[in-house]
Amino acid sequence: MHIVVLLKAVPVVGTERLDGASRTGRGQLESNGNDEYLLEKALKLTEAHGGEVSLLTVGPAPALEALRKALAMGATRAYHVKDDAIVGSDIRATVAILEGAIRKLTFDLLFVGADTSDGQGGVVAPALAVRLGMPYLSYASEIEPAPDGSRVTVHRLSPTGYDVLEAKTPALVMGTQVLGEPRYPSLRGIMQARSKETVVWSLGDLGVEAGNVGEGAATTRVLSAAAPPQRSGATIVKDAPDAAVQQVVDFLAARRLI
Amino acid sequence: MAGILVIGEISDGAPTRLTLELATLARGLAEGSGAEAHTILVGSGAGSAAAAVATYGPGVLVVEEAGSDAPAAAQLAAVVAPLVAQRGPDWVLIGATPDGKDFAGALIGLTDLPILVNGSGVSWADGGPQVEMSTFGGRLVTQSGFTGKRGIILVRPASVVAEPAARVGAVETVSVPERQPLPEVKVTDHVSQVGATASIEEARIIVGGGRGLGSPQGFEVVQALADALGGAVGATRAVVDAGWISYGQQIGQTGKMVKPDLYVACGISGAIQHKVGVQTAGTIVAINKDPDAPIAEFADLMVIGDLFEIVPRLTDAIKARKSGGG
Amino acid sequence: MTDRLSEDQRALRNAVRELADERIAPRAAEIDQTGEFPWDVVKLLADHDVLALPYPEAYGGLGGDLLTLCLAIEQISRVCATSGLILAVHELGATPLMLAGTDDQKQRWLPDLAAGKMLVAYAITEADAGSDASALRTRATRDGDAWRIDGSKRFISHGSVAGIVAVFAVSDPDPAAVKAHRHLTCFYVEKGSPGFAADRLEHKMGIRGSPTAELTFHGVVVPDTNRVGDVGQGWDLAMRTFERSRPGIAAQAVGIAQGALEVATKYASERKQFGRPIGQLQMVGAMLADMATQTEAARQLLYAACDEIEAGSPKAASWAAMCKLFAGDVAMAVTTDAVQVLGGYGYITEYPVERMMRDAKITQLYEGTQQIQRLIVARDLLTKRD
Repeated sequence: MHIVVLLKAVPVVGTERLDGASRTGRGQLESNGNDEYLLEKALKLTEAHGGEVSLLTVGPAPALEALRKALAMGATRAYHVKDDAIVGSDIRATVAILEGAIRKLTFDLLFVGADTSDGQGGVVAPALAVRLGMPYLSYASEIEPAPDGSRVTVHRLSPTGYDVLEAKTPALVMGTQVLGEPRYPSLRGIMQARSKETVVWSLGDLGVEAGNVGEGAATTRVLSAAAPPQRSGATIVKDAPDAAVQQVVDFLAARRLI
Repeated sequence: MAGILVIGEISDGAPTRLTLELATLARGLAEGSGAEAHTILVGSGAGSAAAAVATYGPGVLVVEEAGSDAPAAAQLAAVVAPLVAQRGPDWVLIGATPDGKDFAGALIGLTDLPILVNGSGVSWADGGPQVEMSTFGGRLVTQSGFTGKRGIILVRPASVVAEPAARVGAVETVSVPERQPLPEVKVTDHVSQVGATASIEEARIIVGGGRGLGSPQGFEVVQALADALGGAVGATRAVVDAGWISYGQQIGQTGKMVKPDLYVACGISGAIQHKVGVQTAGTIVAINKDPDAPIAEFADLMVIGDLFEIVPRLTDAIKARKSGGG
Repeated sequence: MTDRLSEDQRALRNAVRELADERIAPRAAEIDQTGEFPWDVVKLLADHDVLALPYPEAYGGLGGDLLTLCLAIEQISRVCATSGLILAVHELGATPLMLAGTDDQKQRWLPDLAAGKMLVAYAITEADAGSDASALRTRATRDGDAWRIDGSKRFISHGSVAGIVAVFAVSDPDPAAVKAHRHLTCFYVEKGSPGFAADRLEHKMGIRGSPTAELTFHGVVVPDTNRVGDVGQGWDLAMRTFERSRPGIAAQAVGIAQGALEVATKYASERKQFGRPIGQLQMVGAMLADMATQTEAARQLLYAACDEIEAGSPKAASWAAMCKLFAGDVAMAVTTDAVQVLGGYGYITEYPVERMMRDAKITQLYEGTQQIQRLIVARDLLTKRD
């Protein structure tokens, strides 16, 4: 079984910034919040059923750090799409680039982590699935390939519990943290990551025109940015419980919340 | 049809509140721009839901569809994508729910329309929509626009207050040009789980619990307060990962973004990953033993004390008040 | 801390640091107080493949280079010097085997060592032969296919817990051989060999959890297949071993210094006297500044030495001596100052700096005293090279 895991390299939480041209600054990068959960699931599945896990990331050189950690966790190889022309790409361009890269690979399952709140809105994965002509199964809390690898069953989180979804492979599965905590890379994994294969692709290798991606081709743009309105600081209540509770009730009543 | 198209969602035969919020938004944008606005409802029950949506103003397009065993977003995409291609709305508004995002993605894949996501507000300026977004863990609020004349906007729940219109809109049944089914996915079962609750994103009042609760049993205290207030229960990632409560209740960067009128945080330190999910709430009250907890920086009222002393008393006080006493 | 490290060296350093902080630090005071060898830490390090670091991948090890190994020793020593020594001795004891063992010998012993199933010790020092290795008396006499070893070794770290011990014995007592440094041979003696005993454990000032044993050999028969290197190659092996083991002790010293610096800095930022944190008082601030500068200098010298030694520098012996010399003195100075910064609190066992100060002293003594290190550096300076 071959599982490809998409890793989004995002700015380390707390260090994000916009540069002068209102583009996301390129500082230190780490894996998007949920991607490692999908990687963990992929590793568990290949450990149980045999097979390999490959990584795919699109991003500048610092994305390598996220790739290295993922290789240390146990992935077999990494594909890194790196090209200066990618900077400033919008969602459409991102989908086109990913499509170009994924078309070069053969696999049974493609895993994508659910977006974080600052991510691309959870739309890249379903768009990609449509472009690739693959079934799309989202918000997975459990992923189970059939023993012969020809189908996959997924539990999709719902407000009342979960729905059971089934499709043929190759399929694109988007998953959540409910899949299980990612392992720490072992020392053995860290040392072995050095000798694992990393293939670097430019846009030309993918057959994607530089003119179709990047800032120049962006269909959206940031017009302005500002700090959010400051909440005026908290009123502190330190009284004994009964007196404190009375203050809370009065506070809520004054704001017509109760 | 040029103009604005809202993609509506139906739940139990009625439009979701988010659908009504988007209809209100579309109406406002249409008034500001002179464009037409419609809400499209798809599925069995679309007809009966349409009347409710029509009271929010814009016209309603109904596509009656038998249910299928495909996921909701896939069913929607099969029907709406060809309609969008045929009628060519300039702007498509979609609610940022899981199904909404799945559908929006499929729509991009099928139509190549531009998209802005994570919208917490939409206004009309310079001949097009401007979308407000909170980024970088809430450190920045940006206004973004489209470079062209068409696009999709994903809008978060509670970004707009739903308001009925002065005039009821027209309801029109439409037929779908050739359906474009997506690659097959079958829903074979719906499993209900104890403890799973309706989406907290709709809740006007949320009481959240964090590690300060000490144990899964701590949530009993939180639930009691939520019940007294008529609200929902939320949680931080730490307690979800610890298995004390289900992922559906998680608020924060990798959980839900909520914008209730009131958020009561019990035993929550207020780390940035959680703050992101809750900082735009109308009023935030925090109860914590630690006066240095980061939540003090963005709460409106901070009670320093033992939550197991404060919260039950607060619950009693609210119940008493509601029953006419206090 | 430094961009001189490669990405996986940084990743490894961070992983070991996390392990040390979460699982070893809570045990450090207890290990010192009870003086019991921490088998649980051995298991922890084995389970996490830390003990596999020094060994080649072909034998189940991680193939870590000298710098990677030192990074790990430093991070562990930061929280517990006894635990840091576990890894350092695990490398020291097996180095002669890795330098000169046959493939057969490596195959016999390295896999178990890499898996952490067995510990190894290094026995050269004797009661009357510390700095003066020409005074060694333990004798190895040829006996057909085997050798007979008679004598005793003293101050052998891990001597009582090791499954095998690298023993350096005199195979040729002839003064000419001694003068030519051809008098010693290295044997690996297995625990349980008749006549071989690990007796008396020393009560020490520091690294109390590390068992320091006296080993006695009464007619211990050792097959020739347990001889590592040529007959008479012992001295050469020992010298080459020092090139790799002395940086390990330097790493332990840097780790101890770093740990003490962190405790002192935290204390100085929280403890208030005269209305402010004492770190803001100039005399205390100056001490902390010197402690930090010295520790960083020791660290950078260690990293540079590791690179030079790994690259096969002809001055490897001098590099090893320099980094151990400097780091040992720094550890002693920094820990002493750390106690000073904490004042009365530094003197009581409730705070870890008194233990760190007691632990630091050994780094100026073993693996060659500071005086021996100076001899080596001076000799190298005065060696004429083309």
